[in-house]
Amino acid sequence: MDSALETPDSPAGTQLAGKSAKTISTTAPQSSELPEVLNNRYRIERLLGVGGMGAVYRARDLLREQYGDPDPYVALKTLNEEFAEYPDANALLYSEFALTSRLRHSNVIRFYAFNVDRTSQRAFMTMELLKGPTLDHLISERQEGLPWLEFRQIAIPLLEALHASHSLGVLHGDIKPSNVMLTADGLRLFDYGLGEPLQGLLPGLPRLSRKRIAAWTPRYAALELLDGGELTEAADLYAVAVILYELISGHHPYSRLTAKQAKCMEQGETLDKPENLPKHCWPTLKAALAFDEQDRQTTVAELLASFNHQPISLLQRLLGRTA
Amino acid sequence: MQVLQSCWKSAARTDRGKVRKRNEDSVLDQPERGVWLVADGMGGHQNGALASRLIVEEVAELVPHDDLDQQVKQVRQALHVVNRRLGYEVTVTADQPDAVMGSTVVALIGDQERAVCLWAGDSRCYLWRNQRLYQLSRDHSLLQQLIHEDQMDPQEAARHPSANALTRAVGAHEQLVLEILEFSVQPGDTLLLCSDGLYQAVSAGSISHALGLISPAAAVEYLFSHALSGPARDNISAVVMRR
Repeated sequence: MDSALETPDSPAGTQLAGKSAKTISTTAPQSSELPEVLNNRYRIERLLGVGGMGAVYRARDLLREQYGDPDPYVALKTLNEEFAEYPDANALLYSEFALTSRLRHSNVIRFYAFNVDRTSQRAFMTMELLKGPTLDHLISERQEGLPWLEFRQIAIPLLEALHASHSLGVLHGDIKPSNVMLTADGLRLFDYGLGEPLQGLLPGLPRLSRKRIAAWTPRYAALELLDGGELTEAADLYAVAVILYELISGHHPYSRLTAKQAKCMEQGETLDKPENLPKHCWPTLKAALAFDEQDRQTTVAELLASFNHQPISLLQRLLGRTA
Repeated sequence: MQVLQSCWKSAARTDRGKVRKRNEDSVLDQPERGVWLVADGMGGHQNGALASRLIVEEVAELVPHDDLDQQVKQVRQALHVVNRRLGYEVTVTADQPDAVMGSTVVALIGDQERAVCLWAGDSRCYLWRNQRLYQLSRDHSLLQQLIHEDQMDPQEAARHPSANALTRAVGAHEQLVLEILEFSVQPGDTLLLCSDGLYQAVSAGSISHALGLISPAAAVEYLFSHALSGPARDNISAVVMRR
C-alpha cells in the first residue's frame, strides 16, 4: 500500500460539473417501480438475473411461510420497465406463461402461476427457484473444456430438455449458457421469454411478434434470427450447438463473433473438432453449427442420438468375439 | 469470522439525489465479513439500476471465508461472472442492439491486518490516516487518461466532450480488467467508498473532516447532509468503514 500513501493528497472533487456520462436515458416515461411485496404475498428479496426483456427475482411466498413451509421461496419474473410500457405487456408475459406451463420435463424449469399485482398492475409469474451454477459460470471456470464423460452428463439432459420442448410444440428462442442451470437434482433449461409456439399450436394466444420485438443474444443467435427471420427449431439447434462446442472445447466456436460476423470472415471453413469430442459426434455437431439454416442438416434428436451412441472399440469387439 | 466482527465498524447510505428519476447506485455493507462495495450503474431505462444491483447481490451471496486472499478471489470471480452476464450473455433487442448495461465497481475487502481495494470505473476509495486524506483509487475515465497518459492539462482535459466517459466498467468490455491495490491497515484507519455523485458534490476538505468524525455513521451523515444541501444532480452513495 504504502506506495499509494506516497500519492499526494488529491482533491476529492474534479472540475467537472454537469451530468455524468454514465446515465444515458432520463426521458423514459414514468412507470411504476416494482413494489416490495406483490399481491400481499410475494416479498421481493433479491435480483437473480436480468435480460433484455425481464428481470427475475427471488421472492419469499408469505402465504406458504405462514403455513410453515420451510422453503417458501419462488423465482418471480416481471417484464422490464421499457416492455411494461407496452399496452399489451401483461398479455406478452401471459403468453410466455401459457406457452411454458404446457411443458413437462424434469430438465425444464417448473412454472407455478401467472398473476397481476393489484396495486401496480404489473404482471408477474412465479416458478421454481433454482439453485446452482449456470453454464456460463462453468464455462468461465473451465477454460480448458470439459472431458467427454462430464460433458455428456450436461449435453444429454440439455438436449433432452430442448427435444421435449420442441415435441410439445414450444420453441425456446434464447438458448444461452446463463439460461441453463446445474441444480442439485439435475439440469434445468429456463427463460422461455422469447419462446414461441410451433405453427398451429395455441392459435388463440397473443404471440410475441418478432417484427415488433426482435430480440436475441448476439453470440448464440442463428443467422436467420439476426436477419429478421422466423424462430424455428433450427435456430434453437444452432444456439445449443454453440453452447455444446463451448463446453467441450472451452471456447466459443466462432471466437465469440455473431453468426453474421463469423460467416463474413468464413470462420466456418476453419472450424476444428474439439479435442475432447469423439470423432463420431463431430459431423452432427458441425452440421448444427452451420450458418445458413438450409445447411443445418441435422436435428436436436440426431445430436442427442450421436452423443448417446457409444461406439464399440476394437478391443471391445475382440473381447466380445472371444467371450 | 468472529474476529472480524470486532475489528471493523461501518455505515452505508445511498440516495437518489434531487434530479435523477431513479437510483442506479447500489451499496454493500458487510462489516462482519469485511466486504464493502459501491456500484454505480449505467444504461437506459432501469438497466443501470439492475446492473449495479446484480453486482451487489452476487457479492453479497458469496460464502464467507476466513482467508482474505480467498475472499478477494471470490469477489473477483463474481465480478467477472457479472461482466459476462452483462456483456455477452445479455439479450438485446433489434431496436437497441448496443444497449448499455454496465456498472462501475469499487470494493474493499479487509481483515485485521490487511485490506484489498479493487475497482473498475470512476467510483472511488479514499483512506483517512493520521489526519490526512489519500485517494487510493484512480478513475478509469477518459479524463484521467488524457491527464496521465496524454499529459494533457487538467483544465483542458475537462473540456473534452467525453471527459466523463469511462474506460473500464463491469459489462463494458469482453474482458473485465480490475485494478487492485493491497495495503496493510492500522488501527484508526478510516476508508470511504463512494460514487462520483458524492465526490463531485463534496470537497476534499469536507471528506477529510467527515472521516475524522467519531464514527462511520457520523461520517456518512455528515457527507450526505453536505451532498444533499447542493443541487444533488446525480445519485449519491457512500460506505465508510473504520478499523
